[in-house]
Order: sequence, then structure tokens, then C-alpha cells
Amino acid sequence: MRRTYIEAIVAAIAAEMRHDDRVFMIGQDIGRFGGPMSGSKGLFEEFGPRRIREAPISESAMVGGAIGAALYGQRPVVEISFGEFLPLAMSQIVLQAANIHYMTAGDASVPVVIRSRLGDGPYRGHPQSYEAWFPHVPGLKVVMPAMARDAGRLMRAAIRDPNPVLFLENMQCYHAVREEVPDDDDPLPIGTARVVREGRSVTVVATGWLVHRSLAAAERVASDGISVEVIDVRCLAPLDLETIVHSLRKTSHLVVAHEAWKVGGIGAEISAQIAETALDALDAPIARIGAPSIPVPSARSLRERYLPNEADVIAAIHKVIAY
Amino acid sequence: MYRWMSLARALERACAEVNPRWFPIEGEEAAIVGTFYGLRPDDVIAPHYRGPFVTYLMRGVELDRLVGQVLGKVNGYTRGRAVAFSGPVRFNLIPWVAADLGTSLSVATGAALSIAYRREAGQVDDRIVVVSFGDGTANRGDFHEALNLASVWKLPIVYVCQNNQWAISQPLSSYVVGPGIAERAAGYGIPGVRTDGNDPLALNDVVQAAVTRARAGEGPSLIEARTYRLAGHWAEDVASYRSADEVASWQRRDPLELARRRLVDAGHSDIELNEIERETEAEVSVAFQRVRELPDVGDSELGLDEVYAL
Repeated sequence: MRRTYIEAIVAAIAAEMRHDDRVFMIGQDIGRFGGPMSGSKGLFEEFGPRRIREAPISESAMVGGAIGAALYGQRPVVEISFGEFLPLAMSQIVLQAANIHYMTAGDASVPVVIRSRLGDGPYRGHPQSYEAWFPHVPGLKVVMPAMARDAGRLMRAAIRDPNPVLFLENMQCYHAVREEVPDDDDPLPIGTARVVREGRSVTVVATGWLVHRSLAAAERVASDGISVEVIDVRCLAPLDLETIVHSLRKTSHLVVAHEAWKVGGIGAEISAQIAETALDALDAPIARIGAPSIPVPSARSLRERYLPNEADVIAAIHKVIAY
Repeated sequence: MYRWMSLARALERACAEVNPRWFPIEGEEAAIVGTFYGLRPDDVIAPHYRGPFVTYLMRGVELDRLVGQVLGKVNGYTRGRAVAFSGPVRFNLIPWVAADLGTSLSVATGAALSIAYRREAGQVDDRIVVVSFGDGTANRGDFHEALNLASVWKLPIVYVCQNNQWAISQPLSSYVVGPGIAERAAGYGIPGVRTDGNDPLALNDVVQAAVTRARAGEGPSLIEARTYRLAGHWAEDVASYRSADEVASWQRRDPLELARRRLVDAGHSDIELNEIERETEAEVSVAFQRVRELPDVGDSELGLDEVYAL
């Protein structure tokens, strides 16, 4: 069945809830309303208020509550409506969820999924992208899919994972990305990147919506005889460096692209790790694409100037090739 | 109860002696023991960071292994990875992994959610959660968020504010307007009771009434146990920010002295009570002697590849 990105995610949650009563959701507007941007459409009708739990607006208690429920036998999926609200639960995420397994010397684990929406989207609201804050913290897994089928399969893996998983959904992908997604699809192990387009001359490593912009850019430069390999990072933690290095051994050129700010973005970590471990594979300096260091502006025309786009990727490809 | 209070005082004094940054509990033993006495081993507890050890011991946690945490030895439950006053989750408690205040209130609330979630499916589960916290912590957003969530979902949990009237160097009047913390319960539509935290029997009665209510599925309660921190915030803190008169007036209400007088009035002999004190002090000093001989935590406890659960 062809499903959008968000339909694949919702189908994955429903499938996990059907076969495991320990799985339930906590969030805002996830009941009859169907979730922000249809993010939990149909779940309330199938599972009811016990398992689709609408909470007061209280992000810290929602995440802390999910952690406590996970410590005592459940497998909650807690939804923070938008990534911009994640900082309200930051202490719960980085001090409680991330620390518990290590600090109890394995006495306890925290099988909780924290899902949230980020990036620019069709309605342009809540666009700040904070994903780079989380891979910095040991003990968290951070998933950020770009493709519909991956999104569903990674959600199933996230729910089954015994660790806290931050599941970050890109709003531009929500209804715009669609592909064949089988019913009852297999979970995809967390921690692997994927080559989404094969090429020989340059590797573009991207996340979220920039995966799609990079694929479009690759198509455009193909007519100039430039063969671009595109890698979807998919998981920011653990980070699959091996797939990237393997690609660079072939292409010798690296472009890293994401929608979040360039400074301190996940691209900085990927670039540093490549520079440390595979500098010899490169024939040119790494090119990084990210947003400029200003808050995400609101007006449409400013937003368009601010967001990294296809033209930025094309320019970076030409730059590394021409070096 | 007297034995537990006596053990708490001896143990925490010994901890403060070896660690000048330990949080002393002198004066608050009745508030701690009175709160957690009489719970079932399968009830979940989340004690305040000031003095949790005795609540762990009350449910069978090994003294030597807690002392190992204090001394940084290999036998500690946490293998040197968490703050020393943490405890093992397998004894149905909320571990101390974060040195902030308030987040554990929400985590404890989540343990109650897990119980309620089973009950809502028709499963028989009459466990409850008791969480204690300081008067300073009662001003964190997590306090409000947790109590409101617990009330809305009618969770089986009892919140106990161990109000020692000082948040490090700030007096209660600098962060609470009005009579105290208990009144806040009204805002959440739950019962709120203030009681003498230096009277373990009176406090235990109030807590047990709230426990019964929670077990019966009638929802959360807030209890304020009024007590006093006789020592500094940490062991070496001389607490020069408060008056000697104030400390002296509470010294006269030392909960161990009050309990002793009460027991003597009830017919127990001083000899008998001295014997209890001698026993608990000996238990602690023997444990410290034994554990001192063990190796310090080292490379094998660092756990570089143990950050994720498998």
C-alpha cells in the first residue's frame, strides 16, 4: 500500500500497539482531533483513551511520566507536539532518560520513545530544528528518517528498543513523501545510514528534508556528467560512519547537508569524524550546508532565503569537484 | 521506628564524616522514617535526596553495598556511576541519576501511571507510590506538572514534602508565601495536609491514610511534614546564614530525643534504648570497616560500552 511518511509512522505505532499492550501514547491533541498534522490519525478510534492518553500541557511531566512508566514495565510513546517544545522536557531527557541505564549499572532501562516534529513544514509553524543537541548526550538514540518506509520501520524498532529513543519527524516530509509501505513491515535496526542514490564523483550526506533536496540536486547535476551518491543518515545516534567512509573511498568528495544551523549541527560532527578517520580518502575540503546563525524567520520570503535548498547543494557539489 | 531513626542518624553521620559534601539529615529522621514506614515491599518509593538510605534499608537493601557507594568501592550497587545516595531499582525505588531537583517527582508519577495503566485494563494491582522531596523543590515546575497530571489521571501516589524550612541558605519565607506547601493541593483538587514532621507516629498516620486512599483508586494526596535541618546543607556547611536561637529552639525538638522521651514515658527503659543506639552505631561502624578493605571502583566499572541497554 502506498503511504505517506506520516501514514507509515502511524501505521507502525498501531501495529506495535496491537501486539503489545505495554505500548501506549501520551501527548496533546492525539485523541479525537487525530494529532497535530494527523500525527496520530485513527489511533484513538482503535485504542481508546486508556492507550491514547491526552495529557495536560506539561512536557516535563509527560516525559518524566513516560520514563517512570517505562521503568515499571510499560513501553510508552510520548509525543511532544513540536520540536520547539523539547527544551521544556530537557532535564527529563538528558538527566533522567539518558542516564538511568548506565548509572544504575544496568539495574534498569528506559524503553521510551519521545517523538516530535521539526523543521520547516507546509504550515510554517514551529520550525526550529534542535536535533543536534541530542546525539551529544550519551545514552540516547536519535532517529531522524527522511523516507516513508524507513520512518515506519524505524518507529517499530524505536518502540521495541530498550533505550530512550528520540524520534524526530520532519514536517516537510509528512504529506509530501510517499512510497510503497507494506502492512506489518519489519523493524529496521537503529543505527544504520542508507545510500539512497548511487554515484561515483561526490558523496552528499544529508538528513531529513535535505535528503530530498540533495536527490533533486543530484538529478540536476547528472546532466553535467557529475555522478552524485546521496546518503540518508537516518540515525544521528548511533551514527553509521562506516557507510559514509565506504562511499568516500569511491567518490573522494564530501558534502554534508542539513536544515538546522550549520554551527554545531550534526554536519559538524560528521565532518570532524571523517577528518579524524578518513581524511586520506578526500581530494577536496569538506563542504558543509546548514542554516545561517539566525533564528528561523517567519515571513515567507525571509524563510525561503534562510532555508538551505537544492541550489546550495548544487553549488557545494561544484565547489568540491572543482577544487 | 526508633531503631530505624537511630540507624539513620548513625549511618548518615558516618557518611558525613567521610564525605564533607554529604547532605546531613540530623533533625529530619522522623520525617523520613515516618513517611516510609509501613509500606509494602512492592510499593514504589522515591525518597528525597536528603536521607534516602534508611528507606532503602527498610526494604532489604544491603548496608555494605550502600556504604560501598559512599566510599567508591566495587561492591556499590551503582558501581561508582551514580551519586552515592542512589539505590537499586530492583527494590522498587526510583534511582537518583540526576542531581537536579524535581525531575524525580515526574518519574515517580510515571511509576504510578504504570500501576494505574494496569488497573485500567482490569488487572488487580493495588501497589502505590510514595515520593518525598524538599520545600525548595516544591517550587520547581515539575512539582506543579506532576501533581496536576497525577490528579487528572487519579494516579495512586502520595507526595510528601519534607519541609526543613531551608533551601541551602534561603529561608522558607524567601520562596513560599502563606502558611506552607500543603495549601497548594487545593489548586489540584486533591487533599493537602500539614503535619508535625518531627512526630513519626502522627506523620505515619497521615501518610498511611493517603496510602489507603491511593490503594483504593481514589487518587493522589499532598502531605507537608514540617521539620528542621539541624545541620548545614552539606556536612561542612556551618550555616552561618541563620540564627543560633532558631537552631537551638529546634535542637530542643530533636526527633530522636522526642521519641526517646515518649518511649520512656511508655515504659521502655533508658538501658534498652541505649542498647538500640549502641547496636545501630556498631552496625554502621562494622560495615564501614568491612567495606574499607574492598578495592576502589576502576576500569572495569567505567563501562565505556555499557551506555545502551542491549
